Amino acid sequence: MEAATAKEGESTAEFQGSDIEYVSYGGEHHLPLIMRLVDEELSEPYSIFTYRYFVYLWPQLSFLAFYRGTCVGTVVCKMGEHRNTFRGYIAMLVVLKPYRGRGIATELVTRSIKVMMESGCEEVTLEAEVTNKGALALYGRLGFIRSKRLFRYYLNGVDAFRLKLLFPRPELHSSLDMMAARNENAGRIDNVPSGERSLLQEIS
Amino acid sequence: MAEKVKVPINPSIPSGEQTVWADVSSLLDLACKDLRDGELIHGENFNLFAAMSALEIMDPKMDSGIVCTYYSVDEAIESGAAPVPLSFDRTLDVQCTIEIMDHLLACEATWHKGHSLAQTVFSCIYLLKPDRTASHALLHSYCRVIRATCNLVVSVVSDARTHEEEDLFTMAYGLPLKGDGDEKCLSMLHAVEETISRQLRACKAPSSKKRVLEDIETLQTHPDLEEDYCKALLCRIRFRKHFYHVLASMRRSQGRGFELARKHIASCLSELDSILKSSEFLRSNARGPCKDGVEHSTTATGCLPIGFDASLNCRLSAPTPPRSIKILSWRKAIEYFQKLLHDLDIICSYSLDPLLEGVLRFVVEFQKFQPDLVARAHLQLLLVQDGKLYGRDPIFVVISKAAALPEVPRNHDIQKNEILVQLVQLVISLLKILCANAAWQRRKLGKILHDWRVIYIQLELAFQKDLGEISSILNDEKLCAKISKHILIWVEEQTYWIASRFLILGFELELYSPSEYCMVYWYIYVVLIKLAEKTHLKMLTSSETGKRKGRKKKDSLKDLARDYQIPPTVLLLQCQIYLAEGLTMRFIQHFELLQKASIPDHISYLSYKESTTQARSSNLDMHNCFKDARRIAKELRSSFSNDQERMAELRRIEQVAEHNGVALNLICRLGTLDPSLKVYFEFCHHPYFATAVVKRS
Repeated sequence: MEAATAKEGESTAEFQGSDIEYVSYGGEHHLPLIMRLVDEELSEPYSIFTYRYFVYLWPQLSFLAFYRGTCVGTVVCKMGEHRNTFRGYIAMLVVLKPYRGRGIATELVTRSIKVMMESGCEEVTLEAEVTNKGALALYGRLGFIRSKRLFRYYLNGVDAFRLKLLFPRPELHSSLDMMAARNENAGRIDNVPSGERSLLQEIS
Repeated sequence: MAEKVKVPINPSIPSGEQTVWADVSSLLDLACKDLRDGELIHGENFNLFAAMSALEIMDPKMDSGIVCTYYSVDEAIESGAAPVPLSFDRTLDVQCTIEIMDHLLACEATWHKGHSLAQTVFSCIYLLKPDRTASHALLHSYCRVIRATCNLVVSVVSDARTHEEEDLFTMAYGLPLKGDGDEKCLSMLHAVEETISRQLRACKAPSSKKRVLEDIETLQTHPDLEEDYCKALLCRIRFRKHFYHVLASMRRSQGRGFELARKHIASCLSELDSILKSSEFLRSNARGPCKDGVEHSTTATGCLPIGFDASLNCRLSAPTPPRSIKILSWRKAIEYFQKLLHDLDIICSYSLDPLLEGVLRFVVEFQKFQPDLVARAHLQLLLVQDGKLYGRDPIFVVISKAAALPEVPRNHDIQKNEILVQLVQLVISLLKILCANAAWQRRKLGKILHDWRVIYIQLELAFQKDLGEISSILNDEKLCAKISKHILIWVEEQTYWIASRFLILGFELELYSPSEYCMVYWYIYVVLIKLAEKTHLKMLTSSETGKRKGRKKKDSLKDLARDYQIPPTVLLLQCQIYLAEGLTMRFIQHFELLQKASIPDHISYLSYKESTTQARSSNLDMHNCFKDARRIAKELRSSFSNDQERMAELRRIEQVAEHNGVALNLICRLGTLDPSLKVYFEFCHHPYFATAVVKRS
């Protein structure tokens, strides 16, 4: 889906990082807060069904950020089987404009990713507008790579990047070693640094 | 549920096999009482797509029914939204007609650029009711040619069946895309053109001759504006005529209409120039003030056109929430058509190269211009018609040539082999994929790479197992072994070609961040080495086969020794390999610099530290890579002197190699001493081999 996050040089509210309180989704009373935030900041219109789909099935993956009782940021996610991998998906990430650039989005999304990792996810994906520099930078810092470009993905006609974060898996190394052994005569291919995993997977 | 509920069977709807229709209102009522506020019944098949497809009625963001100005086209017409004639003042009528033409052009370009037909071209009320304009010959014929053109374009794109992401383009349900008599649009348009040409001649004639022409009615009422209005209309009408001819000629099979199409393309472009030139006159005589600046206006005059309402059929547009569409400006629309015509001209002037290698190079070159959907659909239809290349050459014959297969006796059955039939299909889908937009192309290439790998293994097995079988058909075991060898080498070569294209497209799509360049170039390097290897092998085996044919044995050995030089195509690959290798090491250095500048180390870079230690010693190697690339590029000039496109590639390679060599020198001398040195990368000389830029911050 999408994300609206810090753009540099925006006016920011005066507050301390410790003033922000992070809360896991706690029930129906949180839903209007999430909907208001998303409605305000993101371009795509979502029906109530979409929100409920996420927060009722995966309440443990949704978080809200409060500043003195006001909800200023939220993240909404899901996870499930996708083509034989257990995959986490970040659906919406919003931080109100005056509160951006202070790491709130990073904290929200990191909390979700942590739960996904503990729940056995092998990877996390999401989509972001190719023009959303703030979001792309944020996920880039977290180690996401741009795995695909999606042509005119959004209703407004803008392309999206599919971003992907692969969690390290110990068994990958051994399968790589096996491949390398098989390719002994293949010149330099046996020196694949482990960082090339994602590309390798896409290619083979 | 504790209570028993009676569900009445509804007899008014006929029952199917083992099913009946029943009224479940009472059941739903009870279920509602059971649910508390905010609870969701989640069926297994209620997935994200279902949730996102749900609409909330009365929410203006989602309910397309409530955003309409009018409830129906008839109501809009009754309210006077699209009068015929546009005005009883004939000058005003001409002005308004020109605005409709201009706005339609803008709508058409917006449609081509990916919005729905319903909310662009068919936002024109006149188009929605074809018969209403019958009394207005000019508007009527123009509307007809627009509908007919849209029809042609829809059929090209749907015949090419590019892919689901562009489905929106051909969606036309509920729209009167085919008006009765639209096939006569050209003759009607021609008649109108004749009339206006006569009016133009009449107003330009010297007064002595005017008497003869007096019985011709003028276009409008102002004699001093007559000539310019006639001209403004003529270029618009002629553009439509020629554009229709371009599309129709290009649809003729095997590219037979290309020569004619090129003539019409040239005429289209010159009419577009005239249309642009007419804007000055039109603006200075506009019927009203320009609304939001000429730059953003959808008409030459800057006035809002009469007779359009995009909300009228937004319910027909797509199974999505209503979206507000920004129609391209008139100027942008003209630019779009100029670009489209240039792209179509490239296709029409293509020589229909019978060699697959040439075809692939042509498509890749063509895609560099980033053509839009309509041009790409035309190219695809040209390449694959009736399962043949250009509708002319059977794909198996194309493969045989590409793989340099030895000649097989006439009555051979080898191409009926199941796996070879699959191989033919793989080549067809490769050609189609290469015509898609870059984003989709890359994804699909990634997927078919697997198919090419699988078919290689299948072929290998089949040739081992069936060697007896196939060779008994061919009656020649040697020949069979040769065919097997050639096909296998060729399939591998294609596979690496696809892999390199997959990697290179990532640059165009901006999928790689500078921190990833290192591994990307490293991978490109590995793939290119493989590709060069296979290409070279293929050329060697085919020249062996060719030589043995007509020559005496004692000559051939000598020839082989003399001829053994690396073919230019392979050397060109070698050139790119050097660049990739050089860049790989360069980027490792790039990381070192970053780390020295204490820019935070990133977790995903950790794995590179190992390779960094390997590469540290190799400044000299790196330098040599760029030097070698330059040297080979220079030597290759003579081999490709007749090939503009490859000469250009050589020049690009030389520039990258030269600049990177210099940059490397600088870094070697200053890098460790000067912490203010900044290194970054630009694609200023080559689309995917980066140029290093060294600057002091």
